[in-house]
Amino acid sequence: MRVLYTSLKYLAVVLWSTFVIAPFLWAVSTSFKDFQSVTNGATYIPWVDFEPNLEGWRDLWKSPAQGGVDIVEPFFNSVFVTASGSLISIILGTLAAYALSRFTFKAGFIRNGDITFFFISQRIMPPVVLAIPFFIMLGKFSLLDTLAGLIIVYIVLLMPIAVWIMVDFFNKVPVEIDETALIDGCNPLQVFYKVVLPNSIPGIIVAGMFCMIFGWTDFFFSFILTFTEVQLLPVAIVALNSSITPWWSLSAAALVSVAPLVLVAFIVERYLSKGNLSGALK
Amino acid sequence: MNKIKRVSGASLLVAAAIATQASADQWSDKFPHIKNTGDIAGECSYESMSKKDYSGQTLTINTHAVPVMGEPTALHAEQFAALTGAEVNVIHTPAGDLYSKAMVPFQAGQAPYDIVFGFSNFIRDWKQYLEPVPAKYVNMAQMKDVTQSHIDVNSWDGQMIQFPIDGDRHYLKYRKDVIDNPVYQKKYKAETGKELRVPQTWKEYAEMAAFFNGWDWDNDGELEYGSAEVMKKDDLMYAAFFSRSVAYSKNPRVKGGFFFDLETMEPLINGPGFVEALTDWVEATKYVPPGGINFGLGDEINSFGGGQTLFSFSWDDAFVAAMQDDSPIKNKVGAAPLPGSDRVWNRVSGSWEDTYNQAPYIVWGWTAAVAKKSKNHEMAFDYLCFFANDANHQADIAIGRFGVNPFKKSDFKAEIYVERQGWDPEIAKQYADTLMEMEEGSTNRVFPLRVPGVFQFNSAVATGTSKALAGQLSPQEALDEVAAEWKKIVKRIGADTIREAYAIGVALEDAE
Amino acid sequence: MNFKHKYLFLLPGLLVLLAILIFPIGFTVRLSLSSWDSFYPALDFIGIENYVRLFTDDARFWEAFGRLSLLSVTTVFLQYVIGFGLALIVWKEIAFQRFFRVLFLIPMMTTPVIMTVIWRTFFHESLGPVNDILSHFNLAPLWLSSETLSKFTVMIVEVWQWTPFMFLLLLAGLLSLPKEPFLAASIDGAGPIRTFVYVTFPLMAPISIGAIIIRLIEASKIMDTVYVLTSGGPGTATETSSFYIFIKGLREFQFGYSAALSLTYLIIMIISFTIIAKILVKLMVRGN
Repeated sequence: MRVLYTSLKYLAVVLWSTFVIAPFLWAVSTSFKDFQSVTNGATYIPWVDFEPNLEGWRDLWKSPAQGGVDIVEPFFNSVFVTASGSLISIILGTLAAYALSRFTFKAGFIRNGDITFFFISQRIMPPVVLAIPFFIMLGKFSLLDTLAGLIIVYIVLLMPIAVWIMVDFFNKVPVEIDETALIDGCNPLQVFYKVVLPNSIPGIIVAGMFCMIFGWTDFFFSFILTFTEVQLLPVAIVALNSSITPWWSLSAAALVSVAPLVLVAFIVERYLSKGNLSGALK
Repeated sequence: MNKIKRVSGASLLVAAAIATQASADQWSDKFPHIKNTGDIAGECSYESMSKKDYSGQTLTINTHAVPVMGEPTALHAEQFAALTGAEVNVIHTPAGDLYSKAMVPFQAGQAPYDIVFGFSNFIRDWKQYLEPVPAKYVNMAQMKDVTQSHIDVNSWDGQMIQFPIDGDRHYLKYRKDVIDNPVYQKKYKAETGKELRVPQTWKEYAEMAAFFNGWDWDNDGELEYGSAEVMKKDDLMYAAFFSRSVAYSKNPRVKGGFFFDLETMEPLINGPGFVEALTDWVEATKYVPPGGINFGLGDEINSFGGGQTLFSFSWDDAFVAAMQDDSPIKNKVGAAPLPGSDRVWNRVSGSWEDTYNQAPYIVWGWTAAVAKKSKNHEMAFDYLCFFANDANHQADIAIGRFGVNPFKKSDFKAEIYVERQGWDPEIAKQYADTLMEMEEGSTNRVFPLRVPGVFQFNSAVATGTSKALAGQLSPQEALDEVAAEWKKIVKRIGADTIREAYAIGVALEDAE
Repeated sequence: MNFKHKYLFLLPGLLVLLAILIFPIGFTVRLSLSSWDSFYPALDFIGIENYVRLFTDDARFWEAFGRLSLLSVTTVFLQYVIGFGLALIVWKEIAFQRFFRVLFLIPMMTTPVIMTVIWRTFFHESLGPVNDILSHFNLAPLWLSSETLSKFTVMIVEVWQWTPFMFLLLLAGLLSLPKEPFLAASIDGAGPIRTFVYVTFPLMAPISIGAIIIRLIEASKIMDTVYVLTSGGPGTATETSSFYIFIKGLREFQFGYSAALSLTYLIIMIISFTIIAKILVKLMVRGN
C-alpha cells in the first residue's frame, strides 16, 4: 500500500513537471531556429534535427534598424516600475489592512468587510475601457510616457492584492500581542511597527511576490500609456509580433523575461521551507 | 539615441559638382543599403536630405513590429537622422494594435506621434486627425511615378491624406513545379478530364487544390495540401473573403455600389454572389493544411512560403518568402491574377449572368501619415518622402522581409528582380506583368470599404464568415446575420454619413 | 483602542486608491451614457440607450458570459484540485522537494501575452510538436481550429499558467497548520484518506475559499490567452466577455457601448462573487 502511494506520488509529480517544462523546452529549441527550420515541420534537437543559429538571441540586443529589438532598457524599466509599484502598494496596503483587521469602521451601512471588498473588486474590472480615461488623466498631469505615470496606475492594480493578503494574515496574528504591547506603554503606531510588523514579514513576502508577478506581467496599461521614453518589457517583446513572426527571437525573449521572477521564486521557496511562512496564511 | 556626425556642407558642394555617378557612390559608401543603385537624384534623395538641418528636433514614429515595415522604418530613421541631424524615435506595435495605439491619443486630443503607420483603410476614421500631404510633395517626380490606384487609395475625395510608401494587392500564387509539370498535367487530365493550368475560376482553384491535397507531390518527405488562406478570425481574414467574392459580385454593368446599394444604403453582403463565395470558402476548409482554419497571415506565409501548399492568394508576403534565397521552393512559384468566375450576379436584374468575370481587389496595404497636431510637419513629410525615395524604395523592394512591395510604375520591371534577387527571368516577368496588369490594365476594380466605423463592418464580416467556416451557420445564414448587423451599424452611425463616404469609393469604381 | 489612529492607518491607502480611480470610473460611467465611437469621439448624452441595446439586442454578449462561466469555473476547479494535490505531495518529505516546489511556481511568473505565443506554436496543427508526436499514433487533434477542442486548449494553457497560484497559497496554508489535530488523528488510527477528509480539508477551508474567489476574479478577465491563441475563434467558440468587451472597445472603438458592457459586467460579477462566496462557505465549512 505504501509502495503504491509513493509511486503514485512520484508519478504525479513527474507528469506535472513534464507539463510545466514542456513549453520552456520548446522555447529553448525554437530560439535557435530560423525560418526554414520552423516552417518545415516540427524539429526538436539542435544539430540532430536542424542547424542551430544564434539569430534569435542576437536579435535581443540589436536595434530595430537591424531587425532586432533592444530589450535591455525595457527590462530595467520593468524592474524599476514593478519594484516601485509593488513597494508603494505594499506599504499603503499593509497599513490599510492592519486597520481593517484591528479596528472597526462604520460609515452608514459600510463596514470593514465592505471596504475590504471594495479593494478587491478593483481587480474585477476589465481594463479595456479604462484606456481612454487613464490616458486623458495622465495627459493632464503630463505623466504620459513616464515611469511615475505607470507607477501610479500600477498602484491601482497592485494595492488590492496587498490588502487582501495582509488582511487575511493580520487576522491570524493574535490580538493579544497588540494588547500586551499597549499595556507595556506603546502607542498604537509603535504597536504596529515594533511588534506586529516583525511578525508579518512572511506575509509581506507573499504579498510582495504576488504584486511583483502581477506588475511584471501586465501588458495592457504599459502598452496604452507609453510611447518612446519609457518602454516596458512585455511591450518591447510584443514589438516582435509582426506578420512574419520571428519565433526564434520571441522564444528567446520569452525566456529572458521569465528569468528575474524565477529568482523571486527561489527566495519565496526558501522562506516557505524555513517555516517562516507558516505563520503567514492560516 | 546616438549623436550623429554631420556631413559638412563644403564636401557636399564638391560632390555635387562632380558627375552624378560620383556623388551616387559617395552616398552608397556611407549608406550601404543603397549600394545597388547609388543615390538617385530627386527632391528627397540622400543628397537633398543632407542639405536639410533638423538638428535639435525630434521626430516620433509609430510603426509596425519588426521586420515587416518595422525594420525599414527604423533603418530609414537612422539614415534620416544621420543626414539631417534630427533625433528620430521609432515605436513598434503589432499590426492589430496600430489603429488603437494611434487612435487613443488622437481621441484624447493629443499627438505623441508625428507619423503614424497603419493600413490604408483607416483613412476615413483617421483623416480628421491627419495633415494632408502638401502640394509640394504631391507634385514631385517621385510621386508622379506612383500608380493611380495607389494614389487613389491614399487620397480622399481628391486630396492626398496618406503618404504612399508601399503597395499591396491580392493575387494568386501557385507552385509552378506542379501546374507546369507535364507529368502532373497528364495525371490530372487522366483522372478528372480537365486541364491542369493556372486556375481561371474559383471552381477550378477548388478542384485543383482538392486534387493536390494530402499527399507528397514534391517528394520532400512531407505531406502537402491544397491552399493556405487567412481564416483566423483576426483583423485580416475578411480581406481573403472579399478577394473570393469580387468575381461573383462585382458586375461591370451594374453601377452604384458593391458593399452597399449607394442610394438606399442597403447592405449587399448577403447577396447570392457573396453567398456563393462563402460556400466556396467553406469548401476550402477541406483542402487547407491541418489547423488551416486558424491560420493568420503569418501562418499563411509560413505555409506557402515553406512549401506546404499548392496555392495561396492574399498579400505579396507569401510569394516573397517563397522566393527568398534560402527557400526550398525558390523559383518554383508563379504569380497570376486572382481567379474569376464563369458567372456574375446582376443585382439589378436579380439573376446570374453566364459570362466570365474577373475583378481585381485593390486591397489596402501599409501607409503612413502625419498627425495634424504634430509640431513637425515639414520634417515628418521629409522623412516619409525620404523613406519612399527612388534609391531607398528600389533597395527596399529587394528585401523580402521588409514588406515593401512595388507601387511605382518603375517598379514593374522584371530586371530588378532578376538582377537583385536572383529570380528566374520568366517568373520575374510574370510577376511584373501580373502586377502591372492589375494597376494599369484592369477595369472592374473593387476598392476597400473606407467608411466611418469601418472596423465595425469588418468585424461583423469576420464574425459571420468565421461562424460559417466553423460550421456554426450555413453561408446564407451567416451572411444574413452580417447584413443585419450592418444595417444596425448604418442606423447607428447615420445612413447619410456613410453614404457620403461610400460614394467616394463608388465613384472610383464606377469611373472605369 | 484609540479611534483616531485607525484612520491614520486606513486612509492613506484608501484615499490614494480613490483619488486615482475616481476620474476613470466616473468617466467610464459617463462614457456609458454616450455614443463615443471612432467617428464621433465626444460625450454626447444618449441616456440608457447603450444599456437597452445590451440587454435586448446583444445575444453575443450573453453567450460570451456563458462561455466565460464555463471556462473560468472549470479552470479554477482544475487548478484547485491539481494545486491542492501537488501541495499535499510536496508538503511532506519527498526527493528533490525544494526543486519541485520552485519548479511548480514558475509558470505563474511568465507574462501571459508572451507565453501564449509559445503555446500557439506548441499546439500549431501543422508545425507544432504536439501533433507531430501524436501523428505517430495516427492522432491529429485540431487544438486550435475545432470548436470544442479550442476551448479545451485554452483551458490547458490557463491551468498551466495559474495552478502555481493555488499551489503556493495552499502549500503555505498546509505548512502553517497546527500539529495537534494530526497527532490526534493518527492516535485514532486514521489512514491518509480519512485524515485528509476530516482534518486537513476542513482546516484548509478558509484559505481554500479565499484562493478560489481570487482566482475566479482573475480568471474571469481572461484576455491574453484567448487573443493570442484563437482570437475568440473558431467562429465565436472561445469568445469570453472580456474579449468581447475588448473587441468592442479597442478594435471597433465603440467606447460608449464598451463602457456600458464593462459596468454591466462589473455589477454582474460582484453579485456573482458574493453569491459564490456564500455557497463556498456553506460547502466547505461544515459543522463547527
